[in-house]
Amino acid sequence: MPSRRRTLLKVIILGDSGVGKTSLMNQYVNKKFSNQYKATIGADFLTKEVQFEDRLFTLQIWDTAGQERFQSLGVAFYRGADCCVLVYDVNSMKSFDNLNNWREEFLIQASPSDPENFPFVVLGNKIDVDGGNSRVVSEKKARAWCASKGNIPYFETSAKEGINVEEAFQVIAKDALKSGEEEEIYLPDTIDVGSSSQPRSSGCEC
Amino acid sequence: MLLNVIEDEEKWLAEGIASVQQNALFMHRALDANNLRDALKYSAQMLSELRTSKLSPHKYYELYMRAFDEMRKLEMFFKDESRHGVSVVDLYELVHHAGNILPRLYLLCTVGSVYMKTKEAPPKDVLKDLVEMCKGVQHPVRGLFLRSYLVQVSRDKLPDIGADYERDRDESSVMDAIEFVLQNFVEMNKLWVRLHHQLRTSIGLSGLQGPGQDRDKREKERSELRDLVGKNLHILGQLDGVDLEMYRENVLPRVLEQVVNCKDELAQYYLMDCIIQVFPDEYHLQSLETLLAACPHLQPSVDVKTVLSQLMDRLSNYASTCPDVIPEFLQVEAFAKLSSAISKVIEAQVDMPIVGAITLYVSLLTFTLRVHPDRLDYVDQILGACVKKLAGKPRLEDKRATKQIVLLLSAPLEKYNDIVTALTLSNYPRVMDHLDNETIKVMAMVIIQTIMKNSTCISTADKVEVLFELIKGLIKDLDVTTADELDKEDFEEEQNSVARLINMLYNDDPEEMLQIIYTVRKHVMNGGPTRLPFTVPPLVFSALTLIRRLQAQDGDVVGEEVPTTPKAIFQLLNQVTLLTHDLADAGIHDLSLNGLSCSITRAGIKAANDCELEPVAYEFFTQAYVLYEEEIADSKAQVTAIHLIIGTLQRMQVFGVENRDTLTHKATGYSAKLLKKPDQCRAVYACSHLFWVDDQDGVKDGERVLLCLKRALRIANAAQQMANAARGSSGPVTLFVEILNKYLYFFEKGNPQITSNMIQDLVELITEEMQSDSVTTDPASDAFFASTLRYIRFQKQKGGSMGEKFEPISV
Repeated sequence: MPSRRRTLLKVIILGDSGVGKTSLMNQYVNKKFSNQYKATIGADFLTKEVQFEDRLFTLQIWDTAGQERFQSLGVAFYRGADCCVLVYDVNSMKSFDNLNNWREEFLIQASPSDPENFPFVVLGNKIDVDGGNSRVVSEKKARAWCASKGNIPYFETSAKEGINVEEAFQVIAKDALKSGEEEEIYLPDTIDVGSSSQPRSSGCEC
Repeated sequence: MLLNVIEDEEKWLAEGIASVQQNALFMHRALDANNLRDALKYSAQMLSELRTSKLSPHKYYELYMRAFDEMRKLEMFFKDESRHGVSVVDLYELVHHAGNILPRLYLLCTVGSVYMKTKEAPPKDVLKDLVEMCKGVQHPVRGLFLRSYLVQVSRDKLPDIGADYERDRDESSVMDAIEFVLQNFVEMNKLWVRLHHQLRTSIGLSGLQGPGQDRDKREKERSELRDLVGKNLHILGQLDGVDLEMYRENVLPRVLEQVVNCKDELAQYYLMDCIIQVFPDEYHLQSLETLLAACPHLQPSVDVKTVLSQLMDRLSNYASTCPDVIPEFLQVEAFAKLSSAISKVIEAQVDMPIVGAITLYVSLLTFTLRVHPDRLDYVDQILGACVKKLAGKPRLEDKRATKQIVLLLSAPLEKYNDIVTALTLSNYPRVMDHLDNETIKVMAMVIIQTIMKNSTCISTADKVEVLFELIKGLIKDLDVTTADELDKEDFEEEQNSVARLINMLYNDDPEEMLQIIYTVRKHVMNGGPTRLPFTVPPLVFSALTLIRRLQAQDGDVVGEEVPTTPKAIFQLLNQVTLLTHDLADAGIHDLSLNGLSCSITRAGIKAANDCELEPVAYEFFTQAYVLYEEEIADSKAQVTAIHLIIGTLQRMQVFGVENRDTLTHKATGYSAKLLKKPDQCRAVYACSHLFWVDDQDGVKDGERVLLCLKRALRIANAAQQMANAARGSSGPVTLFVEILNKYLYFFEKGNPQITSNMIQDLVELITEEMQSDSVTTDPASDAFFASTLRYIRFQKQKGGSMGEKFEPISV
């Protein structure tokens, strides 16, 4: 009898355009990095198998478009997320200021059952740039914000150098797992096998 | 009606979701029981919900995502052969049995992705099979979502360089992946574009609602589907196999071919934007020609200017973040290519409004300033192109267009922080010629503010000429009508800016400086009576500064050939005064103008005195008198003016006896003719100083001093009597005390005409007056007199020669 427990964990990465969401995902999943900026269109995901306490999980990591005009269909894919990763660029104050918007937008759109305790993880990316000289958001400031939002775990990362990426995703997976286990299982009010076999679709028979 | 549609849609979505959840539940149970047959059955039923045509793209996407998430669980089940005991090859065959094509294809795609992962079949064959089979769904919305599902689930199984699934790591398998995505892209774009045509027909037939409103709504919904198509390009961008070579030779031409051929405005605009955003900068730079060549072939309604602006924005960001790539920009002649593409687009799109063309030039200029800041010729070239576009057209009225021109003209100023650079751009003023008066002023202010901000010094007359031509909107009235609409505060601010600007013009060489002053004068003198009060003072002051500079270096100036002499400048000042004077004369009795010419005159006189130019100083004085006689009508202003004249004249050492006499004679004459007696009295005793200058070689004409003081006394007497006659009581004795003080002054200075007797008499006279009943007492004048007496006593006690002198006076 296979385990009834969840083995698929859904993680959403959010943040402004150009903060390195795609790069973080690529570094974590494929151990690859490209310095070139390429916009993401819509939502895209990669999966990675992770081992945790002797169990194997599939981490489904959703990378999203930071530019609003490339999110034309909306954010229905937020639903069912087990953890949300908020990314900003430590060299851009605006991307940090926007974290709050991303977080709130996520809570509204994904409407998790327990928004207070929904797991977020914040990543301050691009710490490698210019040897840290162009940095404008201090670690202290970022940590203070994370603390004020219910002690969100915080990591300073470099997708380019691979710094802290693995560590961050370990925590992301762990938090996602915790939240996933608490999720309720859907139970319909009545189970009527008959009705489900009748297609209500008015479309053609294709 | 629209509200009903929305409500219905919500209902349909809710029903769809309920059914998906229900079937998913049965599917979960089947999965837990490792029951493959049931799992397939319920998953197919769940997927059947996606066959609906009732939902808008947004709602459909919600439903799709529900099913999508459930399908991941099924996929994991498929992967684990131990759970269902069927090989993936057989599974692939098995799912073909699903009844409806849509659920069947979703299941096939899902199994197909597992199939590719197991490496039991070459991915190429599976991909080809799937992408072909998906042609079975030709309903645009359903087809688009199905194909986006296909590309998403196969995305990480595509044969790519470095990927696990690349069998023999040769180029052909990478090609297979690219071919697959490209084919999917082409098919999706066709579906998307077809939706447009379907909408048109269906609206033509139904016509239930206002067709326009309905079409807009449908077109908006169609636009919402765009990211499904664009996703293919994103995936191409993420493939390592798509290197520069592959992109330039294969991917880009293929994508552009589809973009151009689809002839659909929405698709063309969006896909061009996507291409620019999803592929790296370096690729764009190295394939500019191909990308730009497509632009003139787009539909005329496509907003090419935004597309090109975004491309140029990206490229200039690229250049500013990685300065070491700039040689590449030069190598590929990025500027020339962009510039020619822009001309072609403007040429091809005849109906493009002027604002569109200018916006394009603004982005090209921004690009140039960021990438090639040293290439002023490029900047001028862009401005020239803009002039060409504007030529033959009436002045711009379009607010958006003028705003763009202001941007265009401000950009070089901001970049170079230096107006001087802009002044060398021959096309700069020519662009300004096409602006309306209001915008010319706005631009002029921008220019002045730039100069202020950077403390730029404009140092040649030629540049000043160009500069004043540029800011002419502030210097003179451009047309009559707008004159009264001006806001006073705005006007003052503008003119103050001009005044500050005049102060920023400077050259060390007096000759050039004089030319600058001439140039400024030429321009500001056209300003009319409202502007002169602001612009003339700085002009005069810079002229005076120059005079003093010349004087200071007097020793160095040799010979008489030196053209820049104080004389020339005085001549100029004189003209300025005359002109302001004439203007004031011309019926505009503006006090500020009169005051202005007076003060110029005074300043001029002083400077002339310092330069020992008697005729010039005399000329100025004569002018001052003319002004006094003709222009100053207000009695208070007269009093002020006469005291200024006396004060100035007293300090003049430049005049010979004759000239001095004439001038002082006039001054005393004016003094005695003032309107009020007390004013007369004060002016006349002040005149006494004109005859006694307490200098080594100063005039010392004791007799005439005495004459003045006696005359002042007579006037004071008359004033007292007049007051008596009018009010029955005399005024205070203040005037007498004041005159007493003058006596004391000249007495001390050793004027032999002033004797202790005179002082004694005057003291007694005042004491008498004060005791008389008819005199109104005034504490101030009493105190004044008391302290004057105290002073006399003090001098007496002092001893020495002064004490001796005062000895005879008894108080």
